[in-house]
Amino acid sequence: MTLARTGPIGALEAVDFRYPDNSRGLVQCTLALQRGSRTVLLGPNGAGKTTLFLHLNGILRPQRGTVQFDGAPLDYGRPGLRQLRSRVGLVFQNPDSQLVSASVREDVSFGPCNLGLDRVTVSRRVAEALAMVGMVDQADRPVHALSFGQKKRVCIAGVLAMEPELLLLDEPMAGLDPAMQGELEQLLDRLHRRGMTIVMATHDIDFTYRWADQVCLLAEGQCRAQWEGAALPEVRDQLRQWGVGVPQVIQLHRLLVERGVIPATVPAPRSHEALQRLLAPRTGTAKG
Amino acid sequence: MLIEQSAYSNRWRQVSPAAKGLFALCGMVAVFIAKTPGIACGIALLLCLTTLVGAGVPSVRYLRVAAPALLFLAMSGATLAASLQSGPVSGMTVQLVPAGLARAAQVCGRSLGGLTALLFLALTTPLTDLIALLRRLKMPEALLDIMVLCYRMLFVFAESAHAIRVAQTARLGYGSISRSFRSLGALVAAITLQVWQRSLALHQAALARNNDGPFRFLEPSFPAAGRQLAVACSAGAGLIALAVVLP
Repeated sequence: MTLARTGPIGALEAVDFRYPDNSRGLVQCTLALQRGSRTVLLGPNGAGKTTLFLHLNGILRPQRGTVQFDGAPLDYGRPGLRQLRSRVGLVFQNPDSQLVSASVREDVSFGPCNLGLDRVTVSRRVAEALAMVGMVDQADRPVHALSFGQKKRVCIAGVLAMEPELLLLDEPMAGLDPAMQGELEQLLDRLHRRGMTIVMATHDIDFTYRWADQVCLLAEGQCRAQWEGAALPEVRDQLRQWGVGVPQVIQLHRLLVERGVIPATVPAPRSHEALQRLLAPRTGTAKG
Repeated sequence: MLIEQSAYSNRWRQVSPAAKGLFALCGMVAVFIAKTPGIACGIALLLCLTTLVGAGVPSVRYLRVAAPALLFLAMSGATLAASLQSGPVSGMTVQLVPAGLARAAQVCGRSLGGLTALLFLALTTPLTDLIALLRRLKMPEALLDIMVLCYRMLFVFAESAHAIRVAQTARLGYGSISRSFRSLGALVAAITLQVWQRSLALHQAALARNNDGPFRFLEPSFPAAGRQLAVACSAGAGLIALAVVLP
């Protein structure tokens, strides 16, 4: 983080991977993750999003092709993987398959302890990570007494405590109530402002359009397209074709432009709230 | 689950597990060196009162947790005290013999003491704290890792077994005896598969967080541990002294 590096932070080049039961993982998958970006991976279930994450963290090894991190191919030796995993954090979809210890504080300390940090540093990082996800009050409760959303926050804290440069989140919004989704979004914004690259797999196209500056479309184990977040209105036919849906605000904005309510020269808003602001009378504010 | 609730919500939750462990150990030693069953029972009563009054564990919960063990103890005590004898005149008779009674009293006194000492520890200390204590006592890491995972997974699988059972019940899976057997079999099969899948997922998750050997965690800190150990030590010594001094 000290050097101003350029080029993608992570990349896959023609990666092939099949699981031992011969099910498809990745097929000639090529993509690049921009440093400092907020990238969303879109794609139907079984498109290979989780497999892609497991490759970026060095847990799965490509059968053909190469995975790169910070401009260099991954070193799958023990020290190489150690180095990689201390810089790439992965939050799994199901918290019950990530939480190792039954104590919240212990589980968050698991990653930093594995990094070999001293006790004082680990304590500080655990406290900071718990504060970031708003779980300080729950730190001494057992994991099995937490709600699903709280468990998910503990998972995120466990990875944040390792202070990764690249944060991979596998469907972090799934199963969270709207309030928690909002909090998570704010947390991700804070992390992004600190310079963290965030890559998220999600099915939420409205969130994607509002939040992402890079969007990758994965289907059948392949990266089929990569767009700027702001470019989604121009590719709505493709979005529809791949079954990931079109952001509602794009559809609504288009209708309003067609009816002449909004001039076509105004750039398309990225969120429902931005559209409301556009439609609000100049002196007043939009109603909720 | 009763033990769990109590371990996390009692008044002595933040007391050093080393102090609580030491006191429980002293209790057990005192019970074993007590000269008469009466003294052993007295020490058991003290341990029980410490748990109820000191740690503030509700007495109803305490009794519910102790009930299965007490029942088992009563049955064993009865079989020890009574002996089956066959005579030419009376045939098979159950007799209470003095030697048997004395042995039963001794075993019951000691068991009761052991039970109350262990309950004191279990009802006041969460297992994660106990595992951390065992780690400090240099227990082999492989055993500790198994304990950590078993304890965590116990709740994961209990939750999942419960969910499967509810889903089966909702579809009349337990409507008749034969169907109940079939459903139970399916439940066991599903859980077995989950154990395998989850072990793989957990392994990957541990790898992703840079684990490449034994599990390492931040040890919980108990700032007043020194003072608490001293108190536990003197209280424990008191129990042992009682057992030694009383005739």
